[in-house]
Amino acid sequence: MNGEVSLSCRDLERYLGKEEERVHALRGVSLDIEAGSLHAVVGPSGCGKSTLLYILGLLDQPDAGSIIIASENVSDLPDQEWSRRRNELIGFIFQFHFLMEDFTAEENVMMPMRRLGHLSESEMRDRAAALLHDVDLGDKLRRESRHLSGGEQQRVAIARALANDPQVILADEPTGNLDTRNSERAFALLADLVRQRRKALLLVTHNRFIADACDWVHEMQDGRIIGSHPRGQRGSITTNV
Amino acid sequence: MTAPLYIALRFATHRKRALLLSLVGVVFGVAIFICTQAQTQGFAQYFINSTIGSSGAMVLRTKFQPRYEGLAVAAKNTTGATNRRNYFEGVSNVSEIMRVSRQFSNVVACAPVLRGNVSARAGFENASVEIYGIDPASQLKATDLATQIIAGKFDDFSNNTSAVIIGYKLADFLNVGAGDAIQILSPGGEYWRFTVAAIARSGVGTVDLNRVYAHARVAQRLLKKPYQASMIIYKLRNPSRAPELANHFEELFQHRTESWQEREEGNLQIFFTLQVSAAITVSLIILLAGFGIFNVLTMSVLSKVREIAILRSMGYRRIDISSIFLWQGALIAGVGSLLGCVLGAVLTWGISKVPIHIRGLLYTNHFLVVWDWRHYFWATLLAVVAVFIASYVPSQRAAHLQPVDTLRGSSL
Ligand SMILES: Nc1ncnc2c1ncn2[C@@H]1O[C@H](COP(=O)(O)OP(=O)(O)OP(=O)(O)O)[C@@H](O)[C@H]1O
Ligand SMILES: [Mg+2]
Repeated sequence: MNGEVSLSCRDLERYLGKEEERVHALRGVSLDIEAGSLHAVVGPSGCGKSTLLYILGLLDQPDAGSIIIASENVSDLPDQEWSRRRNELIGFIFQFHFLMEDFTAEENVMMPMRRLGHLSESEMRDRAAALLHDVDLGDKLRRESRHLSGGEQQRVAIARALANDPQVILADEPTGNLDTRNSERAFALLADLVRQRRKALLLVTHNRFIADACDWVHEMQDGRIIGSHPRGQRGSITTNV
Repeated sequence: MTAPLYIALRFATHRKRALLLSLVGVVFGVAIFICTQAQTQGFAQYFINSTIGSSGAMVLRTKFQPRYEGLAVAAKNTTGATNRRNYFEGVSNVSEIMRVSRQFSNVVACAPVLRGNVSARAGFENASVEIYGIDPASQLKATDLATQIIAGKFDDFSNNTSAVIIGYKLADFLNVGAGDAIQILSPGGEYWRFTVAAIARSGVGTVDLNRVYAHARVAQRLLKKPYQASMIIYKLRNPSRAPELANHFEELFQHRTESWQEREEGNLQIFFTLQVSAAITVSLIILLAGFGIFNVLTMSVLSKVREIAILRSMGYRRIDISSIFLWQGALIAGVGSLLGCVLGAVLTWGISKVPIHIRGLLYTNHFLVVWDWRHYFWATLLAVVAVFIASYVPSQRAAHLQPVDTLRGSSL
């Protein structure tokens, strides 16, 4: 994947749940995330941030609206094309760091590389070790993920999201479980990647310092984006920390 | 190694006990299939070999001529009496028929036999017997008579025209051994005296109880028959093609010709029924094993819902996910049928050593088995198909799980 990849969406609508529990989780969301920029989404719990990220990450289908990745409308592509883009283009960090329990940290990070199939076993191992080293887990490569602390698991999940060197990174509270030092470090890692390697990043955060460090902050409420602020013009944002 | 296979192997090691259990099902299904087939076919094959060995793969007897009725009648009623035949006792042109027969590639050897029913006597015992007037040299080529001798010598029979060979059950009944004398009552009412040169055991109950082999010339005089042979028995290279050849010979020589399949139809049906009933039992075992695998894999899918969602989110396609579970099935099928074949062979060997005492339809002192690679092939194929069907449904279920349902579910 050379060249810049940007991510956009237009007028996304999403309803969740059935019958009486039906929730209008996204009410016409449009965003443009160009390569080389850091975007944050902030908003109260339940406003639809994760729902938006799942749709942008091609994990969920919107009820209306379109998703454009690298100038291509991917909304109506078949499942296997979505799978391929998830594997090659998108790195997803979940709010609840989902790791495969019976596998070691290293094996978890190698999992997306196995699907891609571009590297040999030893190259995959080396790359996984380097990525885990970057999140300060160089000494816990062979530990089963169930025996890692919450914060360590979250860092493994960050390393895993970067495994195939994706152009788009979607992160749902990637630093939620981390202490100040580690969350700064993790954010710095992502920010460097985005700036130097011209990737596109959208992250959900409740951390005002992280939000402040992003190029754009999008404020969400009740399934809508009620304001998008570039850096330096956002005195009035209420982030719940 | 592909990613799905790698993950399948890893998942398999996490659920060792459940997989081991379903493996045991496949191993036993395959093993029992193999050894039941080996047994049922073992008895059938032994019977077939014995009957062909003692009475030939094909028998030509009784000359016939088509009976021509009035042409006008035949034309009006074509379905009715067209196949009527007039039969004449005995075989005519024996040497000519044998000469032509030998030119058929399937014919290994043939031998003329003069057959008749008489009664035999030794001491106070009387038995009605079937006398086979044979030419010793041709009979040896066309049947297994030489190997069937269990007492006395075949040569003592060949060299002595007043000698006979009798079935071992008949010998028991008349209470005679090799070297003893028996008397045979001719149709003319006089007793002829013979020496029992040898005792034969064919393995076929009726043959061993009824048959007396004598020299053809002697038999012809004893029975007062105008013809040299009442039948010709054939040894065939490929006995399974006997029915076709019998039909052909019947046309060619205008003599009634019967294959061993036709002769033993009743007995063959018994063996066939046994084989089918064994196959049904085994199918049930394999069905149960398949059901077990279905359960194990369904449970495995349920316990890996989270992992499946993670894999899907990383870009694993539906086909990758279903492959993971199909691979697990394939591993069970592969390892299971391999071990099953080994166990099947061991069981078959063990069963062939089990002593049993059968003296009725056939003669044996232990279980009879056949070793046939096709049993192993079919057992493996059956297991593979059953396991594939059993793993297909769970694998599709896994492939169609929506990852987002799981990922979102945990956030509630
Ligand atoms: N499966 C579901 N069925 C019905 N409603 C759902 C379902 N999943 C989520 N919702 C609702 O959709 C809305 C948006 O949820 P979402 O998870 O996107 O919120 P969020 O902004 O990520 O919140 P948080 O900051 O707590 O993670 C919420 O009101 C939630 O209750
Ligand atoms: Mg959320």
